[in-house]
Amino acid sequence: MPPLLIDTLLAEAARPQRATLRLAILCAVLAALAGVTLLALSGWFLAGAAIAGLGGIAAVQAFNYLLPSAAIRGLAITRTATRYGERLLGHKAALLTLAGLRPRLFARLAAARPADALETSTGDLAARLGNDVDALEDSVIRRTTLPAALASATVALVAALAMGHRPALALALGMVAMRLAARRMAARLLAEPLAASAEARARMKRDYADRATPCADIAIYGLAPRIATLTADAAAGYDAARLATVRAEARIGAVQALIAVVTVAAMIALSPAGAPLLALGALAALGGLEGWAALAQTDMQAPRVDLARHRLALLAQHGSTPEGPDIKGETLTIAGAVFAGGTRLRIAGRSGAGKTRLVETLAGLRDDAPQSVAIDGRPLAGIPPESRRPLFALAAQDAPLIAGSVADNLRLAAPGIDEAQMWDALRVACADDVVRALPEGLDQWLGGDGARLSGGQRRRIALARALLARRPWLVLDEPSEGLDAETEALLVARLRDWLDTSGSGLILVSHRPAMAALAQQTVPFG
Amino acid sequence: MPERKRRGAGRAGAWWLLDSAGAVAVALALAIIVGRRAEGHPALVWVLLLLAGGALRAFAVARARISGQITANAEKRMVRQDLHRALLPTRLQRARLVGEDLHLAVDAVDVTEGLTARFSPLRLAATVSPFLIALAAAPASVIAAGIMLITLAPFGLAMALAGSAARRAADAQHQALSRLSGLFVDRVRTLPAILAFGAEARVAAHLGTASADVARRTLAVLRIAFLSSAVLEFFAALSVALVAVYCGFSLLGLLPFPAPERLTLTRAFFVLALAPEFYLGMRRLAAAYHDKQTGEAALAAIAAERARMPAPAVTQAVPSAATVLAARGLVLRHPEGAAITVPDADWRGPGFHAITGPTGAGKSSLLLALIGHVPIEQGTLTRDGTPFAPGALNPAIGWAGQSVALVPGTVRDNLVMTDTPLDEAATLILLGRLGLGTMIGSRGGLDAPLDHRGSGLSGGERRRMGLARAILSGRPILLLDEPTADLDVDTARAIRAILADQAARRLVIAATHDADLIAIAGSTCRLS
Repeated sequence: MPPLLIDTLLAEAARPQRATLRLAILCAVLAALAGVTLLALSGWFLAGAAIAGLGGIAAVQAFNYLLPSAAIRGLAITRTATRYGERLLGHKAALLTLAGLRPRLFARLAAARPADALETSTGDLAARLGNDVDALEDSVIRRTTLPAALASATVALVAALAMGHRPALALALGMVAMRLAARRMAARLLAEPLAASAEARARMKRDYADRATPCADIAIYGLAPRIATLTADAAAGYDAARLATVRAEARIGAVQALIAVVTVAAMIALSPAGAPLLALGALAALGGLEGWAALAQTDMQAPRVDLARHRLALLAQHGSTPEGPDIKGETLTIAGAVFAGGTRLRIAGRSGAGKTRLVETLAGLRDDAPQSVAIDGRPLAGIPPESRRPLFALAAQDAPLIAGSVADNLRLAAPGIDEAQMWDALRVACADDVVRALPEGLDQWLGGDGARLSGGQRRRIALARALLARRPWLVLDEPSEGLDAETEALLVARLRDWLDTSGSGLILVSHRPAMAALAQQTVPFG
Repeated sequence: MPERKRRGAGRAGAWWLLDSAGAVAVALALAIIVGRRAEGHPALVWVLLLLAGGALRAFAVARARISGQITANAEKRMVRQDLHRALLPTRLQRARLVGEDLHLAVDAVDVTEGLTARFSPLRLAATVSPFLIALAAAPASVIAAGIMLITLAPFGLAMALAGSAARRAADAQHQALSRLSGLFVDRVRTLPAILAFGAEARVAAHLGTASADVARRTLAVLRIAFLSSAVLEFFAALSVALVAVYCGFSLLGLLPFPAPERLTLTRAFFVLALAPEFYLGMRRLAAAYHDKQTGEAALAAIAAERARMPAPAVTQAVPSAATVLAARGLVLRHPEGAAITVPDADWRGPGFHAITGPTGAGKSSLLLALIGHVPIEQGTLTRDGTPFAPGALNPAIGWAGQSVALVPGTVRDNLVMTDTPLDEAATLILLGRLGLGTMIGSRGGLDAPLDHRGSGLSGGERRRMGLARAILSGRPILLLDEPTADLDVDTARAIRAILADQAARRLVIAATHDADLIAIAGSTCRLS
């Protein structure tokens, strides 16, 4: 696997957990050793005891049964304890590594080109990103698999040597065959169904979203049964791909088991050893090969982890941005017209003309405004998004709220905001009543996208957040949509006061006449 | 569990049990080989039994997994079919976004897979396989079989004691993990807002502490959750150790108690080789516990949404076109939460009436309220002076909205939505006037197949198909959302003429901001 930036991030995050991981690996190795040895020793003990039992009293007394029987009990306890340690420490290392990776990855994403960040931020992609990170977690937990498998294999090989050198050779060959088969089969059989599942899943979701949109149509004409058949059919493609994946995995597992049993049979056939050593070697081989087959599980996960790595790497690679010029936002030039700082302007135009694109470009979230724009006389092309962001406080149309408390959302605006400032801003945004009505006020947890609040309430909290940012320009995209006339009038009055006091400029996108009255100038658009 | 599902789990469970049968064959072969080697006899034939047993195990496990997946696929298909049928027409009534329904209809159904494919068959197998193994061991050594069964009793007790605590712990762990993953997803989703406020460094730092915090709390929970699997491991190891020690002492003749049986090496080795298989089923089951959890959580989410399903409206007898609908003191609640105040309106049929107002004022919401898809907060809707429940008139309503649902079949199948037979000549004339004649002609007429994705149809063509469908429905009331939007001048003019014709025979209410269309309206209800 070629190293990717994501691997570097993962390695950085894993560094503090190295001691834990080493302990987890130690436990895994001990558990594997104890497990295989327990079986092998038990087999040898039985066969030895049987032969001694037939040899009469003297032979029985010569047979040291105390040591093996004590060892068997000791091994049983060791296996249990170390298995517990392996699982707990392995999960600990993985959880804490991922806890370190998430903020690193987030910082990388935030530094990516704005277009990438915006694209990633649609819910579906964000969720996929989450799944990819979870896939990496699985790969960290699996880091104990290889040492444990090697330990099992070593015990089995030593036991096989006791059976004779030819059985040991047969075991070694069997192990090589298992690895070759697993790697080859995983690469050949799994890549295609895994890719097909991913694609079919995306198609199934697209299809459902398309079909679910005309809800009224479906209800009025009773189309639900027919449409449901369609969406279920689209899902059948995904199910088929899943079945193909499971078939491939089942085949890989079956081939591993078959090679293992053929290997053990060959070892028995080739061994000249007596019953005790034959029993020792055969049981050790069976146990050891089972541990060895666990490596195939990692092979089967590999294509999935690899896909996740590559997807994450794509997002994490864009990092460095050039230093931007020092701009203050003293003038703004939109489509040739120049506006001084503190101006209140409204952007007017029909829907679809690109008003939202313009304000998001100004705010440094994208780079594709349809109009020519300049700040302090510099064309936008020469100003990186990072330099534009401190100039504009955006209250976007979709009012994105983070999953957190109301206060968490308001604190996003700037560092060191206190409660009094929050209530001030909420009052201006006509959202103080909304927040006061919440059971826990400012500390009320809002689910993803403020699920507890209506669209209008969300928009007003987002507006309060923009006010708290104290930037040279306040940018409002349809701030009063969904408000009744009375609240809207109050909002306009309070915003006007706030603008008078703060001296902040205003860029307003709104088709509501009451709102438009805030603006001194209008930029016609489209 | 429905019968079909139980049968499916039974099939996969039977394959898992066949794996146990294979284990018995492998143990028997090994025991005979070792026993004969001790007596100096060749045992090559028995190697074949070893191979056969091993092959059976490999095959059975593969079949068990495939069979489980086939059952899960069938089950998912049934759940989807049923769930989609319930979700699709009621989305607006439940005030859900497409994305929310999508999550339930696709993702939630998907995560039930592990429950059906793995957990259920394994549970079935795990309740039978220990007894199957003990039964196989009993003829060789009653005491060894007894040892296995006896370890099951304290194991059961320990699991029962630790079980409920472990389950709660495991549930909590699962929640904590998904919350952590959810937090990351949320911050990535809201990245634009975070960037806009230059809060990326603060959010990254918060994400770091929150992740580490949740990770530590999760670990505390995992300590308990893994304890229950450690109990399982302990008893599995214990049963092997006890069987080995008992058999060894029995073979040496050193047992401290009188044994009812005389063991040979073959018998002893057979039960020893079986001992690890006794707990294998339960260990496999424990490994699939996560599947059970996520699957059951998803089923609960689906059940909860089903509980939100609105009761079907009691429909009224289909009125004639000469009916009068009226709105009195109506206040609607926009899906986004804002109130929409509707001026009082009388829509007298037959005739054409317009609903106007700026974008976002609630024109579509008012039409949706008439069919019961947007809740009415205050006021009433009346029909000929008597209030009616929204939705009650739906069988009398022909609807043409902004998006049009197409069904698989022909053009005709997509035009005929009701029992009203199609007058072929009149239909072709109507389609011609709607500007769809060339498109349908080039496809081969009314019986031409229409791709159910509607591919090849432009957005405008789709919407005019919707309009044609509403007109051809023969229903006395037509509710139309922006019938002339985004059309060229000629087609828009043609549609206005069609609507004027229809208004002579039907009650037509359209949401529109087309001034020319408003001009021909008998009344105009203006929202602000």
